[in-house]
Amino acid sequence: MATRGSFLVVTSLLVLAAIGSGCAKRPATTQAAAPAPTGTASTMAPSSSQPGGTTATPSGPSMSQPGGGGTATPTPAPAAPAPAARPEVRTFVAVPELQDVFFDFDKYDIRPADTRTLDANAAWLKSNPNHLVLIEGHADERGTNEYNLALGERRAKSTMNYLVSQGVQANRVTIISYGEERPTCMEKSEGCWAKNRRAHFLVKPR
Amino acid sequence: MSVQRCAVIIVLLLVAVLVTPWSLPLLRAQGVDVFINITSGGSKKLNIAVPEFTVVSGTDSQGAGKQIAAITGADLTFSGLFSVVAATGAIPANNAAALQQSWKEFAAAGAHAALHGLLTIRPDRLDGEMRLYDLTTPEHRLITTKKFDVPGVQGRRLAHKIADEVVLQFTGEPGVADTKIAYVAGPRGAKEIVVADYDGASPVPLTRNGSINLTPVWSPDARSLAYTSYKQGYPDLYRAFPFERRPEQTLAAFVGINTAPAFSPDGKSIAMTLSKDGNPEVYVLTLATGTMRRLTRHAGIDTEPTWAPTGRQLAFISDRTGSPNLYVMDAEGTSVRQLTSGGFHTQPRWSPKGDAIAYTARQGIHDIWLINVDGSNPRRLTGGGGDNQGSTWAPSGRHLAFQSNRNGRWQIMAMLIDGSAQAVITTGAAEATSPSWSPRLP
Repeated sequence: MATRGSFLVVTSLLVLAAIGSGCAKRPATTQAAAPAPTGTASTMAPSSSQPGGTTATPSGPSMSQPGGGGTATPTPAPAAPAPAARPEVRTFVAVPELQDVFFDFDKYDIRPADTRTLDANAAWLKSNPNHLVLIEGHADERGTNEYNLALGERRAKSTMNYLVSQGVQANRVTIISYGEERPTCMEKSEGCWAKNRRAHFLVKPR
Repeated sequence: MSVQRCAVIIVLLLVAVLVTPWSLPLLRAQGVDVFINITSGGSKKLNIAVPEFTVVSGTDSQGAGKQIAAITGADLTFSGLFSVVAATGAIPANNAAALQQSWKEFAAAGAHAALHGLLTIRPDRLDGEMRLYDLTTPEHRLITTKKFDVPGVQGRRLAHKIADEVVLQFTGEPGVADTKIAYVAGPRGAKEIVVADYDGASPVPLTRNGSINLTPVWSPDARSLAYTSYKQGYPDLYRAFPFERRPEQTLAAFVGINTAPAFSPDGKSIAMTLSKDGNPEVYVLTLATGTMRRLTRHAGIDTEPTWAPTGRQLAFISDRTGSPNLYVMDAEGTSVRQLTSGGFHTQPRWSPKGDAIAYTARQGIHDIWLINVDGSNPRRLTGGGGDNQGSTWAPSGRHLAFQSNRNGRWQIMAMLIDGSAQAVITTGAAEATSPSWSPRLP
């Protein structure tokens, strides 16, 4: 039952992803890819005892049988047409021509002073039409984790919207939020936090 | 237990009952005598003697009798209900006279009850029995006895199960010692998820993918966790089964963020935040069908859903008024009402009892607050030391765990819900954040 459910989740997500891509508001970003489960089970601990008589394995009848779930594991098969993958993040690189823009605390609107930077970035992208761009949205360490992921997303989105308004094709742009997880400056000071509240640009050839 | 026999204890506890506004009358639940009022962390504690456990069979080459008694004692102390009276040396096995003499001495020292553990040690397994005595009676009456069948040699787990049974006997509800806490370990940019015992012991990695892994949350059956990981490059949602050889599931890998998972109380759905339709909104994934239902529709940020224990409502945060505040809606996404205003209020966590929501308020630094579900009586639980955030409820609703940097690095801490008894859970060198307290283990 649970096994069948999990299979349904995966396949349904694939279907949903394929359907959902058709009405994405952001033509820029390619449709969601729901990767199939990695065949490697994330098992926590062998149930062998440790010195001191401790293990991490609960004793529920269905849980204490290593491999018990393995036989029922579904073999994930692509039940839907494979959706196009999102561009691989690690293939993007920074270029000196594309400068970061920065945000006020808990804000995601483009500051007037930063429009000049974004205009220059838009101009570079238009004169290098064979490059895709990845916009990273970042937050400082204040606030909390989950909210900062949303904030970083909004900052990347605002930045993307500005570039598109300046004539950059939306389908060249992908965004990603790192929330507060990738600061460039590690001190606890407003000067440092201001540097971390940023949108950062990476590119790769099409 | 006859009423007159435990009159001393009841008189003691009446003090707590009388000073506690939410006091319930003495209850009888689940077939056990209930004489500790459990609604307040500040109530008078019961003195319980926990001498070293007696090894009745086998060779105790590793000092299990002492260790297991110490762990059970620590669990009872953590519960906030007991003051543990410890002692060195185990009571000899099968020696009624020695037992009575011990109880007489513990009673003279002020103990109201006594826990005697009996261990049978074999190379491949460890069996335990607990016997609970009422020391307020002249004959030191045996309240109850229970044997524990814990597979393998799991002394620590046996200790936790005994402690939870003691709490059950005195309060009508089991303790929370036989639970886990999942958390995120490591510095920014290299965060992995770890699952440890509720007291921080025996940490085991759940993820080892070298990317960024965030915000683990337990399913209601304590068999799986949902979390966000960048292991495929983007922040996607996964579900792992830490105790089973079962492949991980991808829950959501849409364009944009896939974050803030929260299992519904029946375990059939997961609320989450997706930005696939333009900006962060709250959705509910039905696991059996894979259908995704959108609950919020607003131009601002909507995220961090948390379910009421009835499953009929969710709280979430939104910045629709300019900064993040708490909101409540029904499970269809309608009847939205604002719970807090004017704040930087995030990380809502609905209590297991349903009457309150814990959250994080930022006023320069962050602290854990509690607010009634009707929006009344917001009260601060932490303060005076660094940032305190990311709370998670114990399944009993009597404790909260959270992350604090008051000691210079992020650690997981726990406290009673009146803010008392704040104690460090994770003592390792690694930064520890985003705790999720498991339900009671099956």
